[in-house]
Amino acid sequence: MPSDRGHGLRRAALACAALLGSCLAGPTWAFTVFACEPEWAALTRVLVPSARVHVATHAGQDPHHIEARPALIAQLRSADLVVCTGASLESGWLPTLQERSGNPRARDVFFAADHVELIDPQPGAIGTPWAGDVHAEGNPHLHLDPRRLLQVSRALGDRLIKELPAERAAIELRSRAFEAAWRQHLADWERRAAPLRGRRIAAQHTTFGYLWHWLGLQQVADLEPRPGMSPTPGHLQRLLEGLRAAPPAAVVVAPYQDPRPGRWLTGQLSSGAGGARVPLLALPATVSESAAEKELVQWMDGLVRELLQVVR
Amino acid sequence: MPFAHQAAWNRMPATRAAVTAGLLSLCGGVFAQSNPGWQFGAVLDITHTSQALAQGSRDKGLQLGHSDLSAAGPLGAWFKAQVNAVVATHEGKLEKEIEEAWIQTKRLPGGLQARAGRFASQVGYLNQQHPHADDFVERPLLYRGFLGGHWNDDGLRLNWTVPTPFYLMVGAEAFRGKRLVEEVAGPARRMGATTFVVKTGADLNRSHSWQLGLSHIRNAREALIEEHEEGAEEAEHEHEHGHGAAFSGRRTEMVDFTWKWAPGGNNRDQQVRVGVEFARITGLGSAFTSADKHQARALSAVWRFRPEWEVGARWDRLRVRMAHDGDIHGGQLNERALMLAWKPSHMQSLRLQLTSQRDAVEFENPARRSWQLQYVLAFGAHGAHAF
Repeated sequence: MPSDRGHGLRRAALACAALLGSCLAGPTWAFTVFACEPEWAALTRVLVPSARVHVATHAGQDPHHIEARPALIAQLRSADLVVCTGASLESGWLPTLQERSGNPRARDVFFAADHVELIDPQPGAIGTPWAGDVHAEGNPHLHLDPRRLLQVSRALGDRLIKELPAERAAIELRSRAFEAAWRQHLADWERRAAPLRGRRIAAQHTTFGYLWHWLGLQQVADLEPRPGMSPTPGHLQRLLEGLRAAPPAAVVVAPYQDPRPGRWLTGQLSSGAGGARVPLLALPATVSESAAEKELVQWMDGLVRELLQVVR
Repeated sequence: MPFAHQAAWNRMPATRAAVTAGLLSLCGGVFAQSNPGWQFGAVLDITHTSQALAQGSRDKGLQLGHSDLSAAGPLGAWFKAQVNAVVATHEGKLEKEIEEAWIQTKRLPGGLQARAGRFASQVGYLNQQHPHADDFVERPLLYRGFLGGHWNDDGLRLNWTVPTPFYLMVGAEAFRGKRLVEEVAGPARRMGATTFVVKTGADLNRSHSWQLGLSHIRNAREALIEEHEEGAEEAEHEHEHGHGAAFSGRRTEMVDFTWKWAPGGNNRDQQVRVGVEFARITGLGSAFTSADKHQARALSAVWRFRPEWEVGARWDRLRVRMAHDGDIHGGQLNERALMLAWKPSHMQSLRLQLTSQRDAVEFENPARRSWQLQYVLAFGAHGAHAF
């Protein structure tokens, strides 16, 4: 019996050591990317399909309000490259992840916002408790402009070549192919979306600011009283009074935003004397976490299609 | 008047702190011009308390709570630095201190990270967190009794984040320990307190995540036990002004577990946070037997039921041993708190809390019912918060 027990103990110790060893070694090495948002994960997959990609957030989450969860620290710990939006979108959680992960490679982040021109910059704006979430650099939701998305893909291609010099030719080839295909879609979207130009729209937050900017839509009301603050009854009432005379073509929210304020506003506007029905539209602000090129195209296509269906 | 001399003595470190803070902010302004990575912020905490709590840090009436001025930013590519100056009123006096002043490595290989200076120890769940981010007006009894509310000290830290598929971090710290145990019975050592911490955690799925922490403090500073003589009462009161731990011993073990739930991971809309912490102190010193120990536990649950509304409850329990005049007594205190918070943005919060202290033994003036109204305002940049 004692020898049996000794044998068992030795086996258990070996199993433990093997488990720890495999944990430490991880699976066979693959270039690992930590993407803060799914759109950058998709672009990474377009350029380096073999990369292992961790996606920190998904379409059902408000990217401003992510917590530095232990799972994200572990993911960042294993990253060879970090791809994020920048313009302070992740300033509430990415610095903590960088600090806790202790991964020196996670310090040189590729920020998409560094490679495009941002709309609505507010130079010199400092955060006061009453101003809401002010991004002095400009609106960070830049992936909703397919032209800027293309600029980012080019810059990301350059960065990936720097990280993986052996794959230069393949990355350049994929980057060019993506650009050619995307440009074709872009021409198609712009042609189809021509009737949207100049139409008025109400939305919650500046999430879709770049989409409006690209399609020539005009956001005439924001359901939030201050950027990042939830809609209040008083603010909605004021909006209603202002919009009654000339109701917007639609009220747009993102799936992670509470639909009730938008529902209330569209209900009130539709019941007005004019009788014009104002639809509430929940548009996905990004793709799914497993997306690549095909889904990026489908997503952008869907945004244009859904807007065309309601904005007439 | 002995008081005049006492007050002057008390003011000296405060003046020093104020001058330092002034110089720092001035330097900061100049610094920020040439170093755009630097961020500055301020937090203001104003609280009204209907009745002061036993072992509490808030005075009765209107009080300036833990308010700070902070600066953080890179020192070259390799280091990050942070300075934090705090002001608060305590027993009617304005107290100022440099709470944090540290530098930390940014690019050590292999998941290693080192920090030096004055900073909050990473033991337990709450200790590292800035008090303005707390869910309740006062820290749990566990922190108020065993860690002086918020234990920050002068020392070194080395952490290793293990490259596992789940989060695993092991860390060690060495502190002077002077801010844990302020007055020692015997000769003081250079490194009075060392800590060893393991933290682990992961996501169960999109909606559930958890973290577990184990902490150990080894404290070489045996607290001086003050004699309770009639005449010494006043002087002692002045003395106890410090922020060291009320109860200490050679070894402290702590366990903390946190579980968070948010439907679909969208914590902005709705979230439930449940936290449990437990601490036990042994080796209480020469006045006690080896079987004597201090114990405390805290259980809290907070529910964000709308994007800007939170409601929470906390149950605290403290069991300690006290020695006076050669006798050892058991002391105990239970506390329950209920709070409702309105957070229109993460830079502003208004909190109403009802706390009741019960079953007090050897603790004077327990508050049977204390209402607290707290308003916290943040200006400028403020550090990202941890899980």
